[in-house]
Order: sequence, then C-alpha cells, then structure tokens
Amino acid sequence: MSAVLQVSNLRKSFGGITAVDGVSFEVREGEILGIIGPNGSGKSTLFNCVLGQLSPNGGEVRVDGKPTTGMRPCDLNRLGVSRTFQLLQVFPQLSVRDNLILAGQEHRGTMLSRLIGRADAGLGDAADQMIAFFRLSHLSSAPAGLLSYGQQKLLDAAMAFMAGPRLVLLDEPAGGVNLTMLGHLRERLQAYHAERKATFVVIEHQMEFVMALCTRVLVLAEGRIIAEGAPRDIARNPAVIEAYLGH
Amino acid sequence: MKWLAAGAAAAAAIFALIAPLLLKPFGIYLISMWAVLTIAALGLNLTLGYAGQVSLAQGAFVGIGAYTVALLTPVGCPFALAFLAAGALCFAVGWVLGYPALRVQHHYLAFVTLAFSTLVFLVLRNEEWLTGGIYGINGVARPSFFGWSTFKALNFYYFSLGMLAVLAAATWWMLRSPWGRAFVALRENPVRALSLGLDTRRYTLMAFAIGSSLGGMAGALYAPLVQFIEPVSFTLGLSFNLLLMVIVGGSGYFFGPFVGALIAVLLPEWMRVAQGYYLIVYAMLVMVMMAFCPSGILGLLERALKAFAPRGKEAAP
Amino acid sequence: MASFFQLLVSGLATGAIYALIAVGFTLVWQTSQTINFAQGEFVMLPAFFVLAAMNAGAPFWLAAAISIVVSIAVLGVLFKLVVVDPMLKYGVLPLVISTIALSLLLKEGAKEFYSSQAQPFPALVPAADIDILGAVVSTQSLAVLAVAIVTVVALNLLLNRTRLGRQMQATAQNSTLARILGIPVERMVLYTFLINAVLVAIASILISPIYLAKFNNGDTLGLAAFIAAIIGGFNQVRGAILGGVILGVLDNLSAAYISSQYRGAFPLVILIAVILLRPQGLLGRVEERTI
Repeated sequence: MSAVLQVSNLRKSFGGITAVDGVSFEVREGEILGIIGPNGSGKSTLFNCVLGQLSPNGGEVRVDGKPTTGMRPCDLNRLGVSRTFQLLQVFPQLSVRDNLILAGQEHRGTMLSRLIGRADAGLGDAADQMIAFFRLSHLSSAPAGLLSYGQQKLLDAAMAFMAGPRLVLLDEPAGGVNLTMLGHLRERLQAYHAERKATFVVIEHQMEFVMALCTRVLVLAEGRIIAEGAPRDIARNPAVIEAYLGH
Repeated sequence: MKWLAAGAAAAAAIFALIAPLLLKPFGIYLISMWAVLTIAALGLNLTLGYAGQVSLAQGAFVGIGAYTVALLTPVGCPFALAFLAAGALCFAVGWVLGYPALRVQHHYLAFVTLAFSTLVFLVLRNEEWLTGGIYGINGVARPSFFGWSTFKALNFYYFSLGMLAVLAAATWWMLRSPWGRAFVALRENPVRALSLGLDTRRYTLMAFAIGSSLGGMAGALYAPLVQFIEPVSFTLGLSFNLLLMVIVGGSGYFFGPFVGALIAVLLPEWMRVAQGYYLIVYAMLVMVMMAFCPSGILGLLERALKAFAPRGKEAAP
Repeated sequence: MASFFQLLVSGLATGAIYALIAVGFTLVWQTSQTINFAQGEFVMLPAFFVLAAMNAGAPFWLAAAISIVVSIAVLGVLFKLVVVDPMLKYGVLPLVISTIALSLLLKEGAKEFYSSQAQPFPALVPAADIDILGAVVSTQSLAVLAVAIVTVVALNLLLNRTRLGRQMQATAQNSTLARILGIPVERMVLYTFLINAVLVAIASILISPIYLAKFNNGDTLGLAAFIAAIIGGFNQVRGAILGGVILGVLDNLSAAYISSQYRGAFPLVILIAVILLRPQGLLGRVEERTI
C-alpha cells in the first residue's frame, strides 16, 4: 500500500520553544490515522506545517511522493489535500449550497473559464448530492451562518470533500458537538470513507471518537511521537497514559 | 426584500433618465459627473469592498485614463479606441503595482498606491512636453458616434449614463459568476478560502487590476466631460474622495458606489454656505460611520429593513 | 553648492526626525494593529498648538511644553479612546479607513481654523554656522540631531531597561501571552499611544522651523513615516530608526544631485524597490505566512 503522506523529521520552533521536534510518520492509502496527545503536544502545529499554513524550520513533507514542504495551502489543496478546521470556518453569508459550490469551483478549469462559464461552475448537481449525503437538504438555500454548530461542522466536512480529495485532514472534528450529532458525524465520515476509499488524518481530543473512527493512532507529546499502533493498544500503553496524566 | 431593492433600482433608473430634462445646464453637468465618478467608485468598490484592499491610487488611474484620451483623440484616434486603451493601460499598471505589493500582508497596497499616486502627479506635472505640465490640456473634444454628437450637455449625459449602465452590467455579470463567489470568500474568510484551493492572491490582484481599469475608463469619460484637465485634479484628494464615496455608500454593496457618488457630488453643493467645511463634515461623517456602521448607508438600510421585515425561516437545530 | 559633508549632516538631522515619526508609527502598529494613516497630520498639528500658545502670550519653551501636553491628551488619549477603541471590534480595515478620514479632518481643520498660509516657526537655537573638520555645518542641524538622539536613547532606555518598557515589548510581540503573564495589556497599549504623541510632538517642534508650519505638511511627513517604517522593517523599532535615517540622508542627497522637479520621487522609488526586493525591510523578520 502506497504512502499518500510522508512526513520526515519535521521541526518547528517559535522563538525558544520547539513545538514539533523531529516528527516522522507515513499515512497509507485508505487508512484513518488518528493523532492524539495532550494539550501543547504540537498536534496543531504539526498539522499547520503539513498544510502550508506555517513554514517548518526543518524536515520534509511529501504528498504522493511529491515534495510539498512550505507550499501554499491553495496549491496543496489542488494536489488533492483537504482540511477541516477546529474553529468553524464556513462562509456565513453564502448559502449552504453556495458554500459547497465554492469548495469545488477552484478545481475546475482555469480562472478565465470560471469567469465566462456557468454561474455554478457546473457543480450544482454535485453540491446537491453532497448536501443529500450529509442530510442537510432542507437547509440547502439557508445562509450558512444560520446553521447550528453541529450542522456547520457537517458543512465543514462536506466542503472538504467536495473536490474529491486524496487526503483529508480533520482538525478536532468532534470539538463542541453534542452526542447525537457526534454519532451522525462519525457515521457520515465512515460512510464517505467506505464509499470513496478516502484517506483521513484526524487530530482529536475525544478518545471515544478516535477509538471508534480510526484504524491506527499516533501519540504526540512535547513535539515527539511517543507511541503508535492500533487504538486499543494505545489506550493501554503506559507511556501514553503517563503523558496524559502528567499534564 | 429583493423586490424592494429591484423596485428602488427601477425607480432610480427612471429618475436618472427623466431628471436631466428638468435641469439647467449646471445640473446636467453635475449628474454627468455623478455618472462618471460612479464608474470610478464601482472600480474601487471591487478593490475595497470585494477584495478588502485599500487603494489610494484610484484618482491617479482616473488621471491616467483622462490624459490617455486627451492625448490620443486629437491625433486622430477614435474615441472608442482611446477609451479601451485607457482601460487596458490602467489594468496593466494595476497588475504591475499589485503583484509585488500583494505578496506581503500588512496592507502594503495602501502604501504602494499612496506612493504611486504622488509619483503620477509628479510625472503629470513635470513632463510638460507630453502632458502640458501645470497648464494641463485644453479643449478635449466630446466624441461623436455615427453622426450623433455628445457635444450638447444633455447628449453627453445620456452617453455617460449609457456607459455607466454597460460597465455596471458587466461588473454585475462578473460578480454573478464563480468569481463573485470567490470574492465573497476572499473577504469573509481568506484562510478558509485558501484551504479550498482558492488562490487569494490571484483573485485580489485581479480585483485590483479590474478596479483600476474601471478608474481609467472613468477618466476617459471625465476628460471630455470637463474638457480641460490638469494634474491638480488627480492628486490624492480625488483618491480620498473616491474612497470616502465607496465607504459612505456602503463598501461591498453593489449599489454602494451609486449612493456614495451622489452624496459626494451633491454635498459640496448643499454646503455652499460653508464652502471650506464640507470636507471636514464629510470626514467626520465617515469616522462616525466607521464606529457605528462600517457598512455604510446601504448597510444601515439593510439593517433597518431586517428589523422591520418579518423574520426569515430559522434553520431547525 | 553645499559640500557632501554638510548634506550628510543635515540629512542625518532630517533623518533623525523621520526616525522619531517612524518609531511612533511602528510602536502603535505593533501593539494594537493600528495603522495610523494620520501620522503625518499628527506631526503637523503640534506645531500649531505651539503657535496658538505663543499667540496667547506664552514664551516658546512654555508653548512647546504645553504643546506636548496637549498632544498627549489629544493625539494620545483622545485618539485611542474615541477613534481606535470603538473600532477595534470591526477589524483592521474600518480602522484604516477611519485614520484616513482623520488625516483629512485634521488637515482641513488646520487649514480652516488656523490658516492656509505657511507660518514661520521659531527655531530651537539661533541660526549660525559652525566649522567642523573644515566643513560648515549649521547649528540648527546639530541641535536637531542632539534632541533626536537624546529622545531615541531615552526611548531605548525606557523600552529595554525598565520593567514597564519590557512589559510594553511583551505586549507588542504577543498580547495574548502577555495577558496570561498578568501584564495589563490595555494600559500598555495606551502607553504606546502616549509615547507616539510625545514623539510626534517633538518631531513637530524640530521640523517646523525648516518646513514652516503648514496645514499640508502631513502629506510628506506621513509618507516619510510609512516609507521609513517599511524600509527598516515593519515589525522592528530599530528598523524604523534605521529606515528614518537612511531616508533622510538619501532624500537630502538626492535633492542636491537629482533634478528638483522629481525631488519627491526618490523616496517613493525606494519604497517600491524595497517592497519588490525585500518586503520585510532591512531589519525586519520574515513574517509567518498566514495567507
């Protein structure tokens, strides 16, 4: 099985503080990798370095073998890497449907073709299908800002999926979501994963969510990987327990 | 609410067509000025209201457009060609200016356009051999099209109004396309937009270049309107004026520039009594507005209408 | 034609004044994300405070002191409370627009309420020429240099050697962290505004004898502040000083060696060159790209 994402020796410091200290791992095609760790372990910084939001001080990132270290997020996205955000990031004034069309439109054609082509960039049907998949059809033309928190989380995920990405990085998807919606979200993510054979990387705090969703788990503490393996083994790993309790 | 907006626009359009028949020549001159300035403000609205960048050079682009027409038409260039040349030149200059400035954050475009504005003024003033220097260019001719002359005030007004309608329609069409969606994304949440593959730099640059191009086209109409142009008309003062127009009207609203330009053209007339104070009042109005309602007059209107209109369907949790 | 050395010295003097203006501008920007487009007018105004006080009978030194106090009140406290604070919740853009409007307001205000004519302004020291190393240098330039250097050194001591100064620096670098460390961030921000007010007042008193007090001085001075800050590096106070000095010297030299018609163009060309080739400025750190 080929590696969709390869991170080699990634390092990132802010002033005197080393947030990520030589992290290396691979993400294989079709797996759902969870990255967990106590607060301040460097998960978000790692994510942002992989996604081009921050420039790493050392190390390399490769997507499908292509070096992508320090690439701008928009270029990375066009290579097939999508993400969701910890703090909600939908476009409140656009309708749900428009949010989704926007999420896919930059992957079709050139800037010029977008100007003179159809108003929905040919994505109207795809958007409707995605809305149906996430069971948001009754809200299709509502401004995204009016949706509940949980619904916006679903929309966030839907937007990340619109372009049919190779790799989706989910940043704390369960954060702040109530139990019912959480179940629905997890179920939809698993359904999408099964249907499209997508590859996910998930940063998460909530252990139950990670255990139920992920096929493999990495544990980060103080900027380094301290454990790796199947979810059940990780939960029993003494080093992991210490890292969490120690904080 | 959409019907209300459409109705208001229709009423305004009818008014714009009929009003000049009731006005004296100076009045017709004023509303012609309104039409021309609205085009420039439309362009600046693209840059500021849609792409979120401050440009202090829109006045300079109007000047470049005006001088382009004033220099090309006397040597036999047909007006239409000179008009397009003005637009194209300003698009190119805007692209060249914006490309390096937008690679950095921190509103560097504001400073670059500030510097550019001053530079343009210096060139217009010093290169007498080309621009007539301080003395400007006199006798800019009003164009004729297939025998219909725009020399008469009324004719020129309908010509400007027509051009405004065409350019506004083109801008509307652009904003209805995926580009419009991209601009909203750019303005609302550039980080998210980037993560969706949207090249924020390219779209911002495009908005600025097109906005500057519209400024040039406004200038191309300004020259035959006033028939005498000089460097002093195109300094930072004009850029500030256009900026305030867009803000007061409502930046990011399509019809904001129309409203803002109207106020900018009428305010000095209303304040004839206190000639020097009109700018002070204008500036204070903008500052107060920024503190309470940064979305301008149209923003205020939208808020008021939302308060009185029946509540829309709430999304079920 | 003035000798190179003379030009250098007077250039350093002007540069020192630019540095003061640029430092104030950078400080305010660093701590509160306020890009003060009215900075030029902030330098234009205190001179008029001095003139008004002198018209009311005060001797120059008293008028200068009064002007500094009034500047602190108006350009520091009032500016922060009335203009900046209400607007911060709307983001950077409305604040930028507001300061642009403010610059217009101050400029037209000075023109309407005081005078549209350039007003002569008393110099710090009686004009005389001193012989240094065989070149003739004006006492004016030396006095300006002296005052500016003292101010910069004092500011440096304040920022680096006092607890207050270090707290201000912490606020400038990372206000969230500073808040967690217990630093009264709001007060620190207010202090930067006050410092800026003092700096612009001093700059005003130094430059008005040369430029004369005119309502539109803000145009050139504001531009000088922005260019100096960008040349030196937008996020560094030291950079602002360096940028100001470089700008002053180059500006003076270019005035002598380049056609006077395009005198104002040189700084603008430098600005565009810096943004093209080294946008973080000479001393600035390359910022983390967030977009």
